Amino acid sequence: MDRDAAEEVEISPRPGPLTLPSPQRERVRGGGPGRARAVMRRYIARQLVQFLVVILGISILAFAILHVLGDPVLLLLPQNAGKEEFERYRHLLGLDRPLYVQYWKFLSNAVVGNFGKSWYADTPAFRLVLERMPPTIYLTFAGLVVALLISLPLGILAALKRHSWVDNLCTTVAVAGQATPLFWLGIMMIIVFSVRLKLLPASGYDSWENFLMPSFCLGATLAPITMRLVRSGVIEVMNMDFIKTARAKGVAESRVVIKHAFRNACIPVITVIGLQFGQLLGGAIITETVFAWPGVATLTVESIRNQDFPVVQCAVILLALVIVSVNLIVDLAVAFIDPRIRTGA
Amino acid sequence: MRCVIAFGLAMLVVLGAGLVPPAAAQTKDDTLVYALQSDVQNWDPPNSVLRESIILGYNVFDHLAARDLKTGKVGPSLALSWKNLDDTTWEVKLRPNVKFHDGTPFGAKDVKATFERVLNPENKLTARGNHAKIKSVEVVDDLTVRFKTDGPYPLFVERLTAQVMQSEKVIREKGHEWMQENPIGTGPYKLVRWNKKQEHFLQRNDDYWGPKPAFKYVRIRIIPEQATQIAELVSGGVDIIKAVPPDQMDVINKSGQARTVTSPILRTAMIQLDQAGRSGPNPMTDKRVRQAVNYATDMDGIIKHVLNGLADRTATTVNPMAFGYDPSIKPYKQDLAQAKKLLAEAGYPNGLEVGFMRGQPIVEPGLIQTSDAIVADLAKAGIRTKARMIGETGPFTNLVRDSKPDPMFEWSWGYYSIFDADAIFYDVMTCGQPYSYYCNKAFDDLVFQGRSTLDTKKRAEIYAKAQRMIHDDAAYLFKWGLRGVWGVSNRVDYDAPRDEVDRMWIVTPRKK
Amino acid sequence: MTSLSEGKIDLVTLGDTAPAAARERASLRRLGRVRWGLAAGFVLLLIVASAVFAPWIAPHDPLAVNIRHRLGPPAWMDGGVPAHPLGTDQVGRDLLSRMIYGGRVSLMVGICSVLMSASIGVLLGLTAGYFGGSLDWSIMTLVNVMLTFPFVLLALAVIAVLGPSLVNMIFVLGVAGWPIYTRVVRAEAMAVREREFVLAGRALGMSHLRIIFRQILPNLTSAIVVIATLQVAQVIIAESFLSFLGLGIQPPTPAWGNMLGEGRLYMLNSWWIATFPGLAIFVTTLMINLMGNALRDWLDPHMKL
Repeated sequence: MDRDAAEEVEISPRPGPLTLPSPQRERVRGGGPGRARAVMRRYIARQLVQFLVVILGISILAFAILHVLGDPVLLLLPQNAGKEEFERYRHLLGLDRPLYVQYWKFLSNAVVGNFGKSWYADTPAFRLVLERMPPTIYLTFAGLVVALLISLPLGILAALKRHSWVDNLCTTVAVAGQATPLFWLGIMMIIVFSVRLKLLPASGYDSWENFLMPSFCLGATLAPITMRLVRSGVIEVMNMDFIKTARAKGVAESRVVIKHAFRNACIPVITVIGLQFGQLLGGAIITETVFAWPGVATLTVESIRNQDFPVVQCAVILLALVIVSVNLIVDLAVAFIDPRIRTGA
Repeated sequence: MRCVIAFGLAMLVVLGAGLVPPAAAQTKDDTLVYALQSDVQNWDPPNSVLRESIILGYNVFDHLAARDLKTGKVGPSLALSWKNLDDTTWEVKLRPNVKFHDGTPFGAKDVKATFERVLNPENKLTARGNHAKIKSVEVVDDLTVRFKTDGPYPLFVERLTAQVMQSEKVIREKGHEWMQENPIGTGPYKLVRWNKKQEHFLQRNDDYWGPKPAFKYVRIRIIPEQATQIAELVSGGVDIIKAVPPDQMDVINKSGQARTVTSPILRTAMIQLDQAGRSGPNPMTDKRVRQAVNYATDMDGIIKHVLNGLADRTATTVNPMAFGYDPSIKPYKQDLAQAKKLLAEAGYPNGLEVGFMRGQPIVEPGLIQTSDAIVADLAKAGIRTKARMIGETGPFTNLVRDSKPDPMFEWSWGYYSIFDADAIFYDVMTCGQPYSYYCNKAFDDLVFQGRSTLDTKKRAEIYAKAQRMIHDDAAYLFKWGLRGVWGVSNRVDYDAPRDEVDRMWIVTPRKK
Repeated sequence: MTSLSEGKIDLVTLGDTAPAAARERASLRRLGRVRWGLAAGFVLLLIVASAVFAPWIAPHDPLAVNIRHRLGPPAWMDGGVPAHPLGTDQVGRDLLSRMIYGGRVSLMVGICSVLMSASIGVLLGLTAGYFGGSLDWSIMTLVNVMLTFPFVLLALAVIAVLGPSLVNMIFVLGVAGWPIYTRVVRAEAMAVREREFVLAGRALGMSHLRIIFRQILPNLTSAIVVIATLQVAQVIIAESFLSFLGLGIQPPTPAWGNMLGEGRLYMLNSWWIATFPGLAIFVTTLMINLMGNALRDWLDPHMKL
């Protein structure tokens, strides 16, 4: 493995299809399309099981956070309520039952979308969160687009012109970019583009112009890491034997790059996209608060400030659900494209 | 090849999804854009104590009487005239040919239904305290209503400006829940759309009986951060913002895009001290501690340096513009030695710790900075406050209502725009009211006396006595009467309203 | 070979052309990066020193409110005074002093929570990697679950219940950050446990604990140090964001994040209140990242990090 490539690969922040420990290792035996389909089905099944386990784990985590770390009754009642009031409410909310009974009740309710009513808005928490999901999802995707638009060309360029001034510049900008706090960048952009230049709206959610600054902000924060991952992915591919073979065969360089390298670099790139979705959503949380974006993140922050726990719980679970689903789709897509992954070989 | 196709398709989907515009923006010329920092909890004005509800209520509903902004006097609105037949009976004649937004004609039955709903204790509406002196409402004929009051009620006419008229048909057929989100009024605008916590969209009522609004649409945007509101104002995204912090006025005035307008307003700020012990046992139940709190703070300095002079110091909770204000009572002057002495007498020679519930500067500009200065002053006297920040006014007021605040909490009161001491005494300082943490039987007696006689001279004396009482008792930490500061875009003409109600229908585009 | 590489795409594959010269170039580049790292480390040392010696260095009490001198500009501007080199904030507190004390908070949160994460993560990783089986499976499932949550979201959710405070922040960020260590440590532990010296040790009757701590852990120290260093930067940004939102360190205690949040309103006239804390976050994070990268290069360039 080339030393330089090894230097640049970042810690992957999320498990991919290659890292879940499996008790047995499967080997591809023989061939035939039936066999391949069976392998694929088994892979999908494994991924779905993993998906369910993670969802369950998240629900336990969300439940634990409220019921184990905090005390809902303490938060509901006035401070000078008597002990009997506390006991009565505890019984009313079912909090005197054993934890696993409470958890089961919570889970069975959650599955049908009943997270209780928001303690301040008097509407079901689920509806509130669902209403605010689309702006967040749109923003996340827009940020993803921007991140890719920046990092793909630059990453590939840096990989191809490795160690040149282009590469060094990209790396420097990437390191600087990683150190910039996202909310700081957002505030500066609003001042420059809205207040001083009067080019773009400072907040709100009306038309495509509102998307420009937040998505750029979000994408720009993710671009450095993505760029480095793309760069090392491409370097890795470029060093593979089949590239050298193609060159030795006398294939034109551009053809080598486009046809062979790019196509195979797709895999690490798509995996990168999948890996970054969770990070993007995290970044979207920050971006939303700066740009007054009417999404789930601002709802969550408000609800935390108002101690409105049903909403916080629901938002956390639904967001996690989205991330896990996207991860699953990416995993399946990658497996579809690269058969080697399905077998865990 | 599969990879490239899959990738390309995914990108297209993503791009497409990301660029769908969520709502078509209205053209700017016919739309007035107004910013609120915090959203209302409902569109049922009697069911809310928030200033935002009052403002929105004025634009969609009408009241029986209305204040003339220039003279300050109360004049006709949905009621054309009124007279008291005797000490406890008022007869009101209504305006003919007025329709609700749903086409129903307005008449005496609607007045009766509105008041009865508000006065019914089972409905638990927050406006009940405002009109508690009204015993009954009778329909004489379609355009005449008779009110019977519980003893003489001097504020009857003033209070007519504080109750919106709602439709009897809606109350009867649709019920309370529906009314929370669907306001049917007789006012200059109707509600077209409400995206909770995001925006309200109003459309002009072309059948309005009064002056026709200049702007066909009003967009009320909820923008929680003041920094964002100001950025939007100077970049043309919003036309009117309120509660501008005094130290940001120069930014707006120098922008070339907008200007600030100011006016003294009825809203009076204070920090409530839990004398009544509603939130539990606490140091503020001791008069000496409360006095120490008042002696520790340098309110004049704070007004001068933090608010740039834009406030009027009050000795009590009564605003200088309100009837009954007694200018002879001098406010507490900062005296740290006295404060420490009082604390020692009360049993706190080394000072004490106390919780302090704080909120956002939604109606009180510069709140965070003034409270920071107050906290620092208190610390100098040994009173160490532990702050608890609550993000929105709705939840803040709910905590107060439900006896769950800290022993000290920020509070301000807009008097429901009624220029009378009773408008603050009753709701904010008498025993047992949801937003009052002061309980003093002698004071309550004075308040009831004040609202039971029609003799203005006698009332002034009673209120002077009441003010001296709460001043000496250091009922709360007294602050000041606010000056409202609005930021107004240069494309519209708008004057600062002294009753703190933003009337969208009088805003006109500026002549070029 | 030359016709392919001249002028167009630089195909440097070590071991193909002029191997010695190419290796030398690579070493020089590494040395360059290490030099950057040293410079960054030096700056970082200054920052840490100023945080540690804050009570002696800071010119004023960071909590001293003086409303008569609020919104004072930095000393080099019109209206600035030398007594307040970076100006004063919205209630008259000296900005420089607050920045220095704010650094204390950020560094303390960063170091403490990373220590917590590293301890938990390494222990769990060693357990999972060495013992394998269902223990491994359950730990790794937990890791997967936690890595799914964005750091920020998890932190927000826990703060929602525990309430904002310094200790809670350290706890939250510490608990949110351990999965990364576990994965790396586990992989290494799994690889090492099959090695001969370990098998030999088992044969000789060495206890599991001894093997883990004497033979496996030492191989991991460089990796752990690098991850920890880079994570400190992440944690500092996370803490400043939480404080910016008002869910972290509460005012009046100075923290770069809450100073930024409070100063946001003043960006258009008294810009210094928010700008300097923002700069402080940026510089500190940048230095940590540079130093972390250099550490990685220096300790083990082969590290697949």
